[in-house]
Order: sequence, then C-alpha cells, then structure tokens
Amino acid sequence: MDSVGYREPEAPVVPTLTSVKIVVGGGFGAGKTTFVGSVSEIMPLTTEAVMTEASAGIDDLGATPNKTTTTVAMDFGRVSLESDLVLYLFGTPGQQRFWFMWDDLVRGAIGAVVLADTRRLSDSFSPIDFFEDRRLPYIVGLNCFDGVRHHGIEEVRDALAIGPEIPIVVCDARDRDSVKQTLITMVEYAMEQWVAVHGAGVS
Amino acid sequence: MSDETFADVVNGLVLGVGRRRDRAWPAADADPDPPAPAPAPPERSPVDVLPYAGLLAADPGFSADASIVRPYSWTRGRTRSSVELRIEAMVTTTEHGDDTESVTRSEHRAVAALCREPRSVAEVATLLGVPLGVAKVLLGDMADLGLVVVHRTATGGANKAHLLLMERVLSGLRRL
Repeated sequence: MDSVGYREPEAPVVPTLTSVKIVVGGGFGAGKTTFVGSVSEIMPLTTEAVMTEASAGIDDLGATPNKTTTTVAMDFGRVSLESDLVLYLFGTPGQQRFWFMWDDLVRGAIGAVVLADTRRLSDSFSPIDFFEDRRLPYIVGLNCFDGVRHHGIEEVRDALAIGPEIPIVVCDARDRDSVKQTLITMVEYAMEQWVAVHGAGVS
Repeated sequence: MSDETFADVVNGLVLGVGRRRDRAWPAADADPDPPAPAPAPPERSPVDVLPYAGLLAADPGFSADASIVRPYSWTRGRTRSSVELRIEAMVTTTEHGDDTESVTRSEHRAVAALCREPRSVAEVATLLGVPLGVAKVLLGDMADLGLVVVHRTATGGANKAHLLLMERVLSGLRRL
C-alpha cells in the first residue's frame, strides 16, 4: 500500500511498564507497615481514601450506624523487579467496617499476605473472611515478634479455621529476606491456585 | 541518589498525613460535606485552586477542612473517574502533557510535573496530598486529554498472560 502522505501514529514516547500488587492484611499492630518497609525501595507512603455515602454506594453499611465521611489510610511500598515490572505492596487497615471499600484494592491483585500476631489471632479473621469471599489467593504470615512463637502452625490453622492447602509461614516483618521469602511463597501459591482453576494447558 | 531525594520529599509529606490521621479527620466537626456525584455536571470552573508548590510545602497551617474541600473542587464534584484506574497503575506524562503551554489547569500541570518519571496512582495521590478518589478523577481526565499514559496492570482472571506475569514476578522476587 502506498504510504505517501501517511503518517504513522506517533510511536509511544514512554516505554511500557507493568505494575502488579500484593495486598498485606492483618490487624492493627500486626506489622504490616514494617513488612512493607522491609522490601520497599521507597519509604512506605501513606495514602488516604475518603469514604462517603456517595462512594459507599450499595455496600453494606448496616454495621456502621453513622453514615458520615470517614478517611482510611493505607501504607504502600514499591519494589522494582525488572526495568519494566514494578511490584506494589499495599498494607490495609484491619478494621472490619472498612473492608467493604477494599474491592478497589484487591481488584487485579496477585494475592494477599495476612500477617497474624499469634497473641491476637482473632484480628486476622476479618481479612481472611474478606480475601476468601473475594477468592483472592492468600497465605498467612505469622509475624514472629521477639523471635517467640506462641502457637504451633497447626494450632494456628485450627484457630483461624482455614483449609490445609493454605500456606502458613513464620516470618519476621523486620527482616528483608524473611519478607522476600514470604512474598515468594505467596506468589507460588497464587500460581498453583491459578493452574488448579484454569489448567496449565498450553495455549 | 534520586531515591533519597524522593524519600526526603515524601518523609515530610508522610508526617503531614500522619498528623491529619491522628486528628481523625475529617471528623464530624470538620463536616467537609464532599459533593455527591452531581446529576448534572456543574459548568463552573473550579475556583481557588491551590498551586502545586503550596501543597508540597506541607504547610502546617493547611487546615483539614480546606484540604478536603479543595481537592473535590478540582474534580468539579465528581468522585468517580471515567477510566478504570487501579491504585497500582503507573502513569507517565506524555510529551503533550509536558508542554506547559497546552496544559491549562494548574492541577494538571502539577500532576504532569510529578509523572515525568512513572508513578502509581497511589503515589500521585500521596504526593499531591489528595484522597485516592480525587487523584483517580484527575488522572482519568488527563488520560482522556492525552496528557498522561496509563501503563499496564495485571489482567487477572483466566487469561494466560496473568500466569506468565506471575512467573515474572516470582523470578523478580527471587533475584532481590
């Protein structure tokens, strides 16, 4: 075809990037920010989302009697994996009444790590319920405060009432290698789950 | 290094944000009354737009009520973006967006300046000191105007590309 007079659409002047995210859930004080900070190449940042009646839409606000404007904060960090691939880690607040707005947060996430403090395991219930409800692959990271574990892994599994297939790992949120290993376990598990659901067939 | 500079800028901001959070803003007393999505889009121009420099100065006198009302005037009252923008999506300013002559709104210029290097939606919100929803609306407008490009995010779902992407993430994590 004669291309005289035809101008190619301008080539993209910026290189294409891909970003992915992993969500870090857990109760208050479970070590989410520390966990994110251990691998992030930037200081963990805090961003805020404002929840209003308008943005709440049809979500269940039955548990929150006062429909006022609420601001919730989440911490996040960034890890460059390749020159064109960036991983974001988002630490989410654990309060149950905020979970309904995190659909936005989990959409497209590879999966989640639920950080659990073995002294306050019940704080992990609502993030676990949420991720299960959204069918987001998650693993449990037992944040080992002071190097002391207060429960065995199977005890924790029973207490959290989670299936035998869900990995529970011991981690130290302050330790970069430990956090890295936890994330690796998370992604491996997400891949296994993906293959189990969609099959590994060559396409 | 540039990361240190970035961190320095951000540290100040994070402190500011933290303070506001400690005050549990916007509490009932602030009553910011952010506008609901208007049935008819308001025609008037946003007024009293804060310059970018003012925001980054992390002015301690920057009051909570002003900080919430003003960003929503930037979005002309809208709380939803026309484009789906994930919080982790990276955004880069285009050549067009970098041309200050053609970018008329000051908040767009502020975002364009920020995104000369790729930044996620969440970073833009944090660095501008606005709620995520506001950053999304601004970035959605700018993407429509060709001032920024929005990069790829994970596809999710049954698409095989998602599995391949997870493999790349896994390899990247192992190399860390």
